[in-house]
Amino acid sequence: MFDRTTWWQSILYYTLLILVAIAILFPVYYMFNISLKLPKDIYRTPSLLPVNATLKNYEDLVTEYDFLINLRNSLFVASSATFVSVVFSSMAAYSLVRLKYLYRDWIGRLILFTYLTPSGLLFIPLSVIVARLQLGNTLHGLIFVYLTFAAPLSTWMLMGYFKSIPIDLEEQAMVDGATRIQAFYMILLPLAAPGLVAVSVFTFTAAWNELLYALIFITSPDLQTVPVAISRLITGDVFRWGLIMAGAFLAALPVMILYYLAQRFVVQGLAAGAVKG
Amino acid sequence: MVRNESYKTPRFSLRQLDSLLGYVLVAPLVCCILLLVIYPFFFAIYISFTDRVIGSEGEFVGFANYLAIVQKPDFQASISNTIVLVGAVQSIKLFIGLGLAVLLNQNIRARFFWRGLILLPWAMPAFVAFITWKLLFAPQGGAFNYILINLDLVTTHVDFLSRDLAMPSVITASVWRGFPFWVISFLAAMQNIPRELYESAALDGANAWQRFLHITMPGIRHVVLVVILISTIWTTNSFEAVWLMTGGGPSNATMTFPVLAYYGLQSLRIGEAAAVSVSMLPVFAVLALIVAVNLQRED
Repeated sequence: MFDRTTWWQSILYYTLLILVAIAILFPVYYMFNISLKLPKDIYRTPSLLPVNATLKNYEDLVTEYDFLINLRNSLFVASSATFVSVVFSSMAAYSLVRLKYLYRDWIGRLILFTYLTPSGLLFIPLSVIVARLQLGNTLHGLIFVYLTFAAPLSTWMLMGYFKSIPIDLEEQAMVDGATRIQAFYMILLPLAAPGLVAVSVFTFTAAWNELLYALIFITSPDLQTVPVAISRLITGDVFRWGLIMAGAFLAALPVMILYYLAQRFVVQGLAAGAVKG
Repeated sequence: MVRNESYKTPRFSLRQLDSLLGYVLVAPLVCCILLLVIYPFFFAIYISFTDRVIGSEGEFVGFANYLAIVQKPDFQASISNTIVLVGAVQSIKLFIGLGLAVLLNQNIRARFFWRGLILLPWAMPAFVAFITWKLLFAPQGGAFNYILINLDLVTTHVDFLSRDLAMPSVITASVWRGFPFWVISFLAAMQNIPRELYESAALDGANAWQRFLHITMPGIRHVVLVVILISTIWTTNSFEAVWLMTGGGPSNATMTFPVLAYYGLQSLRIGEAAAVSVSMLPVFAVLALIVAVNLQRED
């Protein structure tokens, strides 16, 4: 960046980048490749190319395994968890950044510690609590439980965003007669839109991808989310790899598109929230 | 900072109104946290001291669960495996993370494109990534065995998920899925370092390595520390990698704490399962405390 890049440096840089690109893309490609193959082609005529490509696996997934129901469950859980979490956390972040009250700093610290509490520690007591609340084996219970990781992270990130927005505009609006609440949702929230996008992407994908809680709390097949449905396919003795990879590809596609579209906000969000530099 | 001075209404009542609003707005989140994190947190510790099973509350048994689990080979294995797994994965990610961040901070064309590409493994759902790696390592239908055999590097299939190779395989897959977070965080921090520092250092004759050591590293030190700690919490807690690729096997070769606790829950002996996961607590508490201090430092 600061010396002039010589030609051999350029060669070195781009060679390294291409190697990294291969390491990143090959597994993704192979997943897609296998998803287009029938078992006989996977085992008898293995190849790195999609020989005898067919969409049969995708068809079976939908017709034999009710994959559309899994997709619908995941979509419902992830979007509900995202909505509830973003509403709660933007309110809380506003309160913690802009208003002053007793124990405010302690609540801020509590949220940070909550964000750092691993699910490995919580899933056992939560399984007892969720059962007691009659929420076992329901999608609502799952949404509820997903708030454990979604809301603290969102709040923490949004606090970073709100802090970075100067308070002057809100104060001006309040001088002009707006109430605090109006200043919050008419001035601050629109200005924090990139933060809200980043937080929504993080929450949606985290809920969409979540396996452990879903594995524990959901027992009926018709309520299974995508990660549970797919991981159930690999617990048997015979792996139908084509089918599994078709499901994996369909599961990965929406979140990868989401990340690609929101890349700028996600990277900003990482820099601003999770890891304040 | 004193706010709201522009208001003409009496100051104290407005301040009281603001405090009230503050509590109201933060209340839903705090209620969620109390019910879903704080209460379960202490409940887990309580359960670990009882002989609770599914269907029975159980009674207080003191340290009996802890004494029982430390004698079990799967628990002993999970201590050393977790240390090896986390230690290896984190060191490799630190190395790759710093290296690629420095690389992307050079005069690279289409940096936006490369950054997006590097984000890809992290954008993939973890369960998809680890199932795909299980396939890549598979003896039949796996890409690596196909390549090795076609290049005549091996004569028979290599069992990458065997007792000896399972851990390196899980480490490889975990690094692949986890390194983007490090690269992107480090790169963001590096781009905040003022250019002038590098320019004056270059004028003073500092070479690339010296500039990295004396300008880049101090500039990103804080971010590096926080990334290491947060990622260590995630990696120690990671369930998917081991569960999907090996299930903790063969014969406990890759057994880690979260997977062992999950098996405990499956076996319905909740007290013991809770004891397994609570034994991770001291480590997490220390890590979380250091992260919290560092994240709040500049406030």
